[in-house]
Amino acid sequence: MMRTQIMILTKLELCNLYGLNALRFSKDRGARRKSLGMLAVWGLLLIMMAFYMGGLTYGLVCLGLEEAALAYLITICSFLIFFFGMLKEGSVLFRKEGYDILCALPLPRGAIAVSRLLKMYAEYFLLTLAVLLPGVIVYAWNVRPGVPFYLAGILSIWSVPLIPMAAAVLAGTVITGISSRMRHKSLAASALSIIAVVGILYGVSRLSALEGHINPEMLQNLSETVMALLAKIYPPAVWLGTSISRGKIFEAILRAGLSLAVSVAVAATVTLSFRKICQGLHSVTAKHSWQMGELKVDCVLSSLCKREFCRYFSSSIYVTNTIIGPIMGCVLSGGLLAAGPEALKSVWPLPASPVHFIPFTVAGMFCMMPATATSVSMEGKNWWIVKSLPLSAKNILDAKLLMNLLLVLPFYLLSELLLILALRPGPGDLLWLVLIPAVMILFSCVFGIAVNLRFPVLEWESEVRVVKQSASAMLGGMGGFILALLCTLAVGIVPGTYVGYVKTGVCVVIPIATIALYHQNNRFDIREK
Amino acid sequence: MLKIRHLTKHYKGSNKGITDLSLHIAPGDIYAFIGHNGAGKTTTLKCVAGIQDFEAGEILIDGKNIREEPLACKRQLAYIPDNPDLYEYLTGIQYLNFTADVFGVSQGDRQERIRKYGDVFEITASLGDLVSSYSHGMKQKLALLSALVHQPRLLILDEPFVGLDPKATVLLKDIMRNICAGGGAIFFSTHVLDVAEKLCNKVAIVKDGRLAASGDMEEIVKPGFSLESIFMEVVDDADTDHDTDKAGTL
Repeated sequence: MMRTQIMILTKLELCNLYGLNALRFSKDRGARRKSLGMLAVWGLLLIMMAFYMGGLTYGLVCLGLEEAALAYLITICSFLIFFFGMLKEGSVLFRKEGYDILCALPLPRGAIAVSRLLKMYAEYFLLTLAVLLPGVIVYAWNVRPGVPFYLAGILSIWSVPLIPMAAAVLAGTVITGISSRMRHKSLAASALSIIAVVGILYGVSRLSALEGHINPEMLQNLSETVMALLAKIYPPAVWLGTSISRGKIFEAILRAGLSLAVSVAVAATVTLSFRKICQGLHSVTAKHSWQMGELKVDCVLSSLCKREFCRYFSSSIYVTNTIIGPIMGCVLSGGLLAAGPEALKSVWPLPASPVHFIPFTVAGMFCMMPATATSVSMEGKNWWIVKSLPLSAKNILDAKLLMNLLLVLPFYLLSELLLILALRPGPGDLLWLVLIPAVMILFSCVFGIAVNLRFPVLEWESEVRVVKQSASAMLGGMGGFILALLCTLAVGIVPGTYVGYVKTGVCVVIPIATIALYHQNNRFDIREK
Repeated sequence: MLKIRHLTKHYKGSNKGITDLSLHIAPGDIYAFIGHNGAGKTTTLKCVAGIQDFEAGEILIDGKNIREEPLACKRQLAYIPDNPDLYEYLTGIQYLNFTADVFGVSQGDRQERIRKYGDVFEITASLGDLVSSYSHGMKQKLALLSALVHQPRLLILDEPFVGLDPKATVLLKDIMRNICAGGGAIFFSTHVLDVAEKLCNKVAIVKDGRLAASGDMEEIVKPGFSLESIFMEVVDDADTDHDTDKAGTL
């Protein structure tokens, strides 16, 4: 009985995976086109990932690291699942949408939680296949392993997403559970998520740091060195990867079974606390004690901007997703100050001085995910309000732009201060150091709006759909980030005497493009959406 | 006040929408817009409120075209949808202040109107709470308050009585009458035909996206008949004679 009900609920959860149900039944050609466009973006990303993973595996095999190749792929896959999962699983698992309706049905206690966990697993299993299969094909083509390799792989590959997913769910549950007891739940969840991400990144960087310098002996035993490194970061990947590559079927099944046991234990813990956390999260306090005081009058832009800030800080997943970039920018600048520019020079493969490329690298961090790229979609069912008010597209979009710029400003100032202290640039370099990130951040914010106006998702049940899975979330971050990446490479490649021209070109062309895009955005007919 | 001429709006891939609809709402009118589910009422109201574009026809508010001067038109009106999805992350007073800021309502005026209508609808004490803690009826009251805070000349309401408690319903009807007595106009959709019959001086019946009947309530509802019986007659008649345009003929 319980199993049947879980299956029914899971089917319901899975029915609109990647918007397929809407694509299947929607009669609106525009909506269908958008869904197809979204699938095309996903397809493109999958192809890019397939090439990347295939190339990576080929490189590892060429270096004689066949033994480490699978463990390496499993580690990458597990980290992808863990990081993306940790930031969103709390919101997905304990989401309010549909919860009340399901609670009113005669369902066993854990059915809702289990069905949501199974949907997550299905998504992560697809991701695992997308990441591992290209690498495994390249591996098999080059190494020509025997039948036991394939058997061990087929019988255990399903277990790859289990442990990282369990860890992500556990972290998400702890963060959500703590924040559910607080008054400002979203802010608390955002702060805890950010602290967790920064802490984990710091831990991984410490674990993966090689002790001492690379010496010839280490290069001779490169495979062992890499395996030892992977074992420090994520041991289950090494265990499973070794079992598969050596064709040890029983061992692989046993390790997959262990992963299953761990994830079942985590699922049981989460299921037990599910209802309590949901109640804590979904409850709202009302005092009914407001008395009329003096009301403050604001200008239209200020009022709209305040509303944007309220919207922003009301969603933990929105905050976490968009603030990580600026935080990483500050961490990079702080790291540079702590370690000194010379440390960066030793890991930077190109001849250019750090003072030339650092402004672009920092800008890239800041532009990773502008809040504007999903700000229109985040309006959701409330979009009618601004559409019905006497507001032009410019009024509405200016407020979104201003909010993003004001949000990033303190991080930008802090990062600049740290960079100036670290690099101690001359007057000319100081100008570029301040100007280049500013120009690129501004472009990325305007670009984010442009993308979101063209790929809005206004009908959604969970904010995760907008912040993590929408085309504008993916494309919006790419504009400034890829531009910064290309500029970093350009500055690294061109001879030193031409670096100034590259920087001047960037500071002239990008503002012109930004202004053009800004005016185009403001001419947008918001009634079309 | 509001002139709708030959309005046509269809949704891509669907036969729903509105075809060649013409209506005239004069100052002082309380105009009921009735029809079955999916008849095109909400589509029409959204087009009038400037939320949705349309394929053909024109909408004039105080002589201004909603397509050419959307902001000037929107300054004259307030729109409340059937399901008021308001900003759940704002408190009630923040939402009202936001609306008042957009319309440039002075501090004194907004203070007076919020106090007046907040007390009328009995939600003043809840204005400091987040909208997410409001019931459906409270959200409806807040939406009405946000519409009244800038004293619109034209109120566009989609099912305004749904979710309101009986007392609030009576009060809203009084407010609607007062607005019209002051030279304003109200254009609203409803399924509550009794209310429409007693409250409105004009009515339009829409069937499958086409205007089936419209005019003064007294002309449409003859003595001895009710709006309900007329509605059923018009809708059934339109079913049997689908292509006949009955606009203004009853």
